[in-house]
Amino acid sequence: MRKGRQKHRVIILTLLFYMAGIVLVFTLCSSKTISESERRRLAQKPKLTAASLTDKSFMEDMETYLLDHFPFRDGLRRIKAYFAYDVLRQKENNDIYVVDGYASKLEYPLDGASVRRLAGKMTSLKHQYFPNQNTWYAMVPDKNYFLAEQNGYPSIDYTQMTGILMQELEDSGQNWNDMDISSSLDIGDYYRTDTHWRQEQLFDTAAKIGEALGVGEYLKLQKADFEEHAIENFYGVYYGQAALPMKPDTIIYLTDETIEKASVWNLEENILDGKVTMSEEKGAVLKPVYRLDKLTEEMSLDKYDVFLGGASSIQVIQSPLAATDKRLIIFRDSYTSSLAPLFLEAYREITLVDLRYISSDLIGEYVDFEGADILFLYSTAVVNHAAVLK
Amino acid sequence: MLFSSITFLYFFLPCAVLFYFMVPQKGRNFILFVMSLLFYAWGEPVYVLLMLMQIVISFVLVLLMDRFREERAGRAFYMLSVLLPFAALFYFKYFHFFMENLFGIRIKTAALPIGISFYTFQIASYCIDVWHGRVKRQENFITYAAYVTLFPQLVAGPIVRYSEIEQTLVKGMDSSELYGSLEQGIVRFAAGLGKKVLIANVIGEFAAEVLALEQRGIALSWAYAIAVSLQIYFDFSGYSDMAIGLGNIFGFHFPENFRYPFISKSISEFWRRWHITLGAWFRDYVYIPLGGNRVRMIRWIFNIFAVWFLTGLWHGAGWNFILWGLMFAVLLVMEKGCSRLSAGADISFPRYIAGFFRHLYVAAVIIISFLIFQNDTLTGAFADIQALAGCGSRIGHAAVKPEMDAYLLRNRIGILCIGLIGSTPVPLWLWQRAQERLNGIRFGAAAVRLLRVLFTAVLLLLCTAYLIDGSFNPFLYFRF
Repeated sequence: MRKGRQKHRVIILTLLFYMAGIVLVFTLCSSKTISESERRRLAQKPKLTAASLTDKSFMEDMETYLLDHFPFRDGLRRIKAYFAYDVLRQKENNDIYVVDGYASKLEYPLDGASVRRLAGKMTSLKHQYFPNQNTWYAMVPDKNYFLAEQNGYPSIDYTQMTGILMQELEDSGQNWNDMDISSSLDIGDYYRTDTHWRQEQLFDTAAKIGEALGVGEYLKLQKADFEEHAIENFYGVYYGQAALPMKPDTIIYLTDETIEKASVWNLEENILDGKVTMSEEKGAVLKPVYRLDKLTEEMSLDKYDVFLGGASSIQVIQSPLAATDKRLIIFRDSYTSSLAPLFLEAYREITLVDLRYISSDLIGEYVDFEGADILFLYSTAVVNHAAVLK
Repeated sequence: MLFSSITFLYFFLPCAVLFYFMVPQKGRNFILFVMSLLFYAWGEPVYVLLMLMQIVISFVLVLLMDRFREERAGRAFYMLSVLLPFAALFYFKYFHFFMENLFGIRIKTAALPIGISFYTFQIASYCIDVWHGRVKRQENFITYAAYVTLFPQLVAGPIVRYSEIEQTLVKGMDSSELYGSLEQGIVRFAAGLGKKVLIANVIGEFAAEVLALEQRGIALSWAYAIAVSLQIYFDFSGYSDMAIGLGNIFGFHFPENFRYPFISKSISEFWRRWHITLGAWFRDYVYIPLGGNRVRMIRWIFNIFAVWFLTGLWHGAGWNFILWGLMFAVLLVMEKGCSRLSAGADISFPRYIAGFFRHLYVAAVIIISFLIFQNDTLTGAFADIQALAGCGSRIGHAAVKPEMDAYLLRNRIGILCIGLIGSTPVPLWLWQRAQERLNGIRFGAAAVRLLRVLFTAVLLLLCTAYLIDGSFNPFLYFRF
């Protein structure tokens, strides 16, 4: 009988120690506020009130809090990733797959309605704000364009996507100029752990766009023309999602005199009590092109925000040393943040409009479209999810 | 509160076990009752009052019923004690369905209280059993309340009858069984958690991926249909295993709820292996009181249809559930008819051929039945069934990309194989063989114990890892 008891005790004690250990570590460990791998602020302990109890938000928030602060969270996520890949033989984890050291997120199937929605947004903007001006558009291929199909992963049909967009714009009766930049890119032009492209690899792409816009002659796009600055240990957005050990990337940003003399105005930092101070007005808050202050955790959880400071609805970059007085307006997503500085040699002013953060109806209050070149530059992922554009 | 949540696994359960074993035997039902209320209130902070009210009312009614047993009032109290819980169940679960389908009136009722279908059946079975003298009335309110609210089986079964746990509730846990029961409970709980988190949830991801496609090919449609059956089985049986395991931890022996239903060779056998406690409840409290099979054939067919109509309806207020239940009624009547017809006939097939075709028939029926069960609408269910034959709106001849279908299958082939094998007794059989062999050698018994510890620990670790990763919520700077 006694031997029998001892036999059973092994498993009981193992479980007891395991659970007690977890609870102890949980209690003793100081509460983190930020998860670097997930690049987000962690949930804080919810407050217990009568209202939060009856509407169950306390219980839900408590579960979120416990999950967020669970001991060895990143390690456990890594164990899950290994189990999914190696035991269940999954080809992805959380929709992230890794090929040749490059992590990418599955993006499929093609949403034709979304592409048509984008085309509708583009034509209505042109009709409303710049009906007679030169307008260009290009799509930034995501990493799946280079990795998915050839490695057996499903991907959207890029040819079909481009075809739908072209057809829709053509049917609008407006004058649109398309440019294909995918041929100037390869997988090496992207960060391994992040979705974005690398600024120091974009000379060919910038040249191609510059030629199409008619300012190619003014652009200096040789490596020797710039000074390179490195930001080490950049763990991109896919690093956290993949939950697999990956080497960090290095962000390299390029400077020259023109870029250093340029200044950036953005709408969010120039609104006070509902009043907007425009870039040319006295008291406007102007920042440099590269926001090194964003490299601290307090300011940003994403080192890619070093390019123009990250997400913003409207930004205006003034380039006093530009070779022309021309103006460029780009409707864009985050890829343009690292590309736009390469055009500062050619344009005195570049305005960046991100319709994910501002309604199309409001941009006329802050942007002067008269005489400017207009470029729509969206990544294929945004094209496939155009509902996010306001 | 869900068993498969961090709150339950690492905070509620250790506290419940600790408090339960800290207090003397006399106070344990009180601890169970309080912890069960907390468990329920965590998910239903308002409806916990409804449950409490039902417990109090049924306790008082049974008391009055017992006291006035010999008088007419006794029968009235009995009727009330059974009808009132069902009235509440009807209001919350079926009222809107009947109003809409009988009178065309769309009404908005309150949300369905978690577990109401389960605890209603438990209360009703207790009242009926006391009235018929099958069990003695419980005089202690806390003991009765602990029976109804017992958190291991409160929200998803198995449906435990009072008679099945009366002894442990009244006399407490047999101390000689303490360690064995605890160990057994821990291993069973971990196995159930693994079935739910590692298999059902992952297969569910595959099903969701397939559903996200506008159209698909025939092979993927079959894989989807199989996945739906496996997901429902592992989800439900996993939860039952967790409940039974938790019961063991607290010294209770709950009835089994699943016994490898997919290996059945007939639908009647399937229902002896699937959700056993529900089937037994309807058999004992509906089918047999209606006369069972000791009646004329027409009445027997009526009994079968009544029971399966109710079984379908129990699962939810929807035509798909009713159709699902009635489909089994038709099949059971047919099976019975066939067995009567073939009783005198001289038909001799080799056993393995007959067995193969019987398995095939059951598998096809089960797969189709769960497509009906799973879909919110009958249109969706029929579309999924049509897809198995390569036609209908789900099948896209032009739009389907074979490489996409192939990828989805390749990506989840591992978990589908694990699910298919895991739904048969093969893993248990292998474990028993290994145990026999190990027990025959030196230190073999120790190795078996070590393997059990490792198995449990690894399962818990993996389940925790999956739960943690499920909460992954990256800030993507808009997806990027």
